[in-house]
Amino acid sequence: MTTRDPLFPETDSLDDWFPRGAHSTPAAPGAGQRLGVVVGGSLSRGLDIKLDPQATIEDLAVGRYVVVRGRSKRFFCMITDVLLDATNPAIRSDPPDLGDAFLRDVYSGTAAFGTVHVAPMLSIDEGSDEPKPVRTIPSHFTAVEIASAQDVDDVFGQEDATHFHVGAPLELEDTRVHLDLRRLVERSVGIFGKSGTGKSFLTRILLAGVIKNDAAVTLIFDMHNDYGWAVKTEDGPQAKGLKQLFGGRVVIFTLDDEATRRRGASYDHEVTIGYDEIEPEDLAMLKTTLDLSDAMIDAAYELHKVWGRGWIGQLINADAEALEALKAQLAASFVSVLALKRRVQRFERYGFLKPHAAEDSARRILEYIESRKNVVLEFGRYGNALDAYILVANYLTRRIHQMYVERVEKALGDTALEPPQLLITIEEAHKFLDPQIARQTIFGTIARELRKYNVTLLIVDQRPSGIDEEVMSQIGTRVTALLDNERDIAAVLTGVSGAGGLREVIARLDTRQQALIMGHAVPMPVVVKTRTYDTEFYASVSSASTQDAPKLSVTPSDPESRRLR
Amino acid sequence: MAETEQTPIVGQVLRASTVGFVCGTRSQQIEHPAFGAFVRTRQDSAADLDVIGVIHAISIDDDPLVRQMILANNMTQATIRDQRENRLVPLEISVLNVGYIQGGRIYQTLPPRPPLSLDPVLLCDAPTVARFTARLDFLRLVLNASDVPTEQLLAAVLKFAAAARPDAERRAFLVEAGRLLAGLLSQDLPRLQHLLQLIRPA
Repeated sequence: MTTRDPLFPETDSLDDWFPRGAHSTPAAPGAGQRLGVVVGGSLSRGLDIKLDPQATIEDLAVGRYVVVRGRSKRFFCMITDVLLDATNPAIRSDPPDLGDAFLRDVYSGTAAFGTVHVAPMLSIDEGSDEPKPVRTIPSHFTAVEIASAQDVDDVFGQEDATHFHVGAPLELEDTRVHLDLRRLVERSVGIFGKSGTGKSFLTRILLAGVIKNDAAVTLIFDMHNDYGWAVKTEDGPQAKGLKQLFGGRVVIFTLDDEATRRRGASYDHEVTIGYDEIEPEDLAMLKTTLDLSDAMIDAAYELHKVWGRGWIGQLINADAEALEALKAQLAASFVSVLALKRRVQRFERYGFLKPHAAEDSARRILEYIESRKNVVLEFGRYGNALDAYILVANYLTRRIHQMYVERVEKALGDTALEPPQLLITIEEAHKFLDPQIARQTIFGTIARELRKYNVTLLIVDQRPSGIDEEVMSQIGTRVTALLDNERDIAAVLTGVSGAGGLREVIARLDTRQQALIMGHAVPMPVVVKTRTYDTEFYASVSSASTQDAPKLSVTPSDPESRRLR
Repeated sequence: MAETEQTPIVGQVLRASTVGFVCGTRSQQIEHPAFGAFVRTRQDSAADLDVIGVIHAISIDDDPLVRQMILANNMTQATIRDQRENRLVPLEISVLNVGYIQGGRIYQTLPPRPPLSLDPVLLCDAPTVARFTARLDFLRLVLNASDVPTEQLLAAVLKFAAAARPDAERRAFLVEAGRLLAGLLSQDLPRLQHLLQLIRPA
């Protein structure tokens, strides 16, 4: 009887016999931020995590980061759903009285428990600091923790010449998310969100980052005069414009000098466009806004052929006699010509349209761009006239793009001779990239042909569902504030892997200062509380801009100045 | 696991199996054992196997004398006392085995061998109970025992185990036990709810 039974190990430790389980060992207070364990899931659908009893389900908002510490990898995941579960469905029909503290302590986390659904986004191998896309998932019952500041830093890196601090992940406000600006401008960028969610502040922060780090030169079609000079914030105090932050590195063009002066803002140049520079393609863009029929557009092409460059001026000024003479020359329906005449007569209201422009505004803008100056084109009171905005943006972009294509082709792959990377910012983008016109417009072309010609778009929009799907799929980085329309959410998530889970995240964002950033410029989708656009922000970008100032004095022909830093 | 000398002896093993045993005692010693209390057998040191169990029934069988006495009239108090103290049949205390001690270690499973007849049976003192119930794996043994009023027995056992702890730890212990039961009885909610009502601290 004294010999020990060989079945029992030679150990005196109670723990060897009874491994500590969740049941009998309440976690020590402050034992990390363990949330629970992986209990199921798949790579495509995401992981199911059963919460530990001490994890408070109310603290787990969608969009938060969690880290699954596997055997040889750390998996970075985002919470995409939170569920209540019970071991026995019958408990729903006879719920215990949780007013009793004892019963509450017993039931919560045992018979009734919380589950979170997380989407694995990245993994980092042990001993490595390079985040990789996930290709596998952690094994059963791996512990899950709330991501620590260190984890976030490992993924989003440190702020440097190409990384710009845009905000902090949810609930981790002392850490920072950095955008890779080089990757940001390499492909088109979309900033989405319904109105009032801070799209223009978000845009201003991104543009400030791009300008500060000189990642690209920007051309901003500033519909509501939001970017160049100071604007009133919704809370009252004024927010500085890019010109005030970056001084000489930003040049303001205006279409409406009166309005700009009235706002007390300064501008560098006034833009005028001659009727003789407008081509039928420019009118085709306005098809929906001016309500032009196909016949009217055909008529425009024909008039262009008959009258040449001055066709719009001639059409506006044509009297009955001239029209009568025209009638015989045209194959197109004469009714369409008359209708077109009425439409283009609206152009007379626009002060910036002149029979003949004194200087070539497109060329002037291009000169600034070549010398790496950022251009803000203010629309003044014309910002409210969508046809003016579309006409001007389309006209200038087409010209600039054309010159870019010529330069790039001439450079024959010699990066030193190529013009600088250009980021064109347009608002109300769905008007330019509507599926019906996106194939013909210059913006559709830019979005599709990507970085081939060093021009990319930054589109700001509140109706992403109105943007052509092909264009959407080419947008590299998407920054999305709150959207609540199902179609808009679906459009933003087009072509994003693991999009299902992000749907809930987008629909649950705060209306202020929160955005989901995903795509090319971030290693994994992240919900950020964006930086506040305040004096601290001004100081951080302005100090850098003064440091960079000497670099700007180099001439455009200097190859160094062209290389992205 | 040294027992203090004052530990009351409950009785001696009458009959036993690996599942449980019955010990007998004189009827006047009935103040000590109680339903749900932890007891242990003590064998001589050579055997090295002390079985731990919980009392699930205490029964008093009749004997021929008591049958006759019930029919007789005019029983005196002295007769009744005499019958109780000098019965021919012992009082039987039924014990459900929930673990054993071997080589100084505690195991919460059925013992490899039953105790031997006439082994002394002792009431566990508070430190022993507290140490044994540091783990609650034996609850399953109790839950699955047949011919035993499991809910009442479990409730009584847990109350004893709680009482063996300092006041400050009692509630936490009962919550922990409750949580374990919630896991074990997740498919039998009415039973779980009844049990929780029985063990909830006042």
